[in-house]
Amino acid sequence: MQINLRHKGSITILDIEGRIIGPDALALKAVIDEQIQAADSRTENGGHLNLILNMERVQMMDSSGLGALVASYASIQRNGGHVVLLNLGGSVKSLIVMAKLMTIFDCYNSEAEAIAGIMKP
Amino acid sequence: MGERTEQVITLSLPSSMQHVYLLDVVVTEILKEMGFAEDVQEQINLAVIEAGTNAIKHGNKEDLSKKATFQFVLAEDRLIIVIEDEGEGFTRQEVADPLDPENLLKSSGRGLFLMEACMDSVTYEAKGTIIKMVKYKESPDP
Repeated sequence: MQINLRHKGSITILDIEGRIIGPDALALKAVIDEQIQAADSRTENGGHLNLILNMERVQMMDSSGLGALVASYASIQRNGGHVVLLNLGGSVKSLIVMAKLMTIFDCYNSEAEAIAGIMKP
Repeated sequence: MGERTEQVITLSLPSSMQHVYLLDVVVTEILKEMGFAEDVQEQINLAVIEAGTNAIKHGNKEDLSKKATFQFVLAEDRLIIVIEDEGEGFTRQEVADPLDPENLLKSSGRGLFLMEACMDSVTYEAKGTIIKMVKYKESPDP
């Protein structure tokens, strides 16, 4: 798994690539936690993290990866921020549907839609 | 009656989560060789990784002196996978349903559910320290 971090205005975007299996979940959670802390020290967004997880190049994810997404969602919500998923591929989308998590996560098929969605009041 | 061709591949791993990557590589190659459809390969791959995580992390508690053993039986019409750990086992019925609304936001507890969703059959033996999973090349009659 590889993670590329970028920012668009006040929004943080993680472009994730490869297979999220086994220990990758901890690495992903650590990167997201760092961003929660970094956002906390900034004044824009009131210290909240607005995060887009771009899953376009994720080939596969296991339940540990799914757990990292759910735990991150809970942490970010607690801090008053938002997290959305972008470009879910076939197997990752199936996993999220199977786990009945489509009702939890907002999912988008384009970055522009995801940005608009995350900025929604 | 034709001779049945059946290959057995056994993989024995020390209980480190890092070895999940090795397990992933091995099962990917086996699935390619067996000619399962691509979407079915993904399902089996996921089930094996979940079973491996279960054995290494929850069964053997990442104790490197304990082994997680994977036996792949490549039959003409099916793949049988037997996973064994050296842990204390568990009772399947006592594992919470991850689809229960009160469990949806839990960060763990989905592995067994996904194994059962992805395979044609999953059975638990020896107090859950042995798990047998089967996937047929053609879906069995309901």
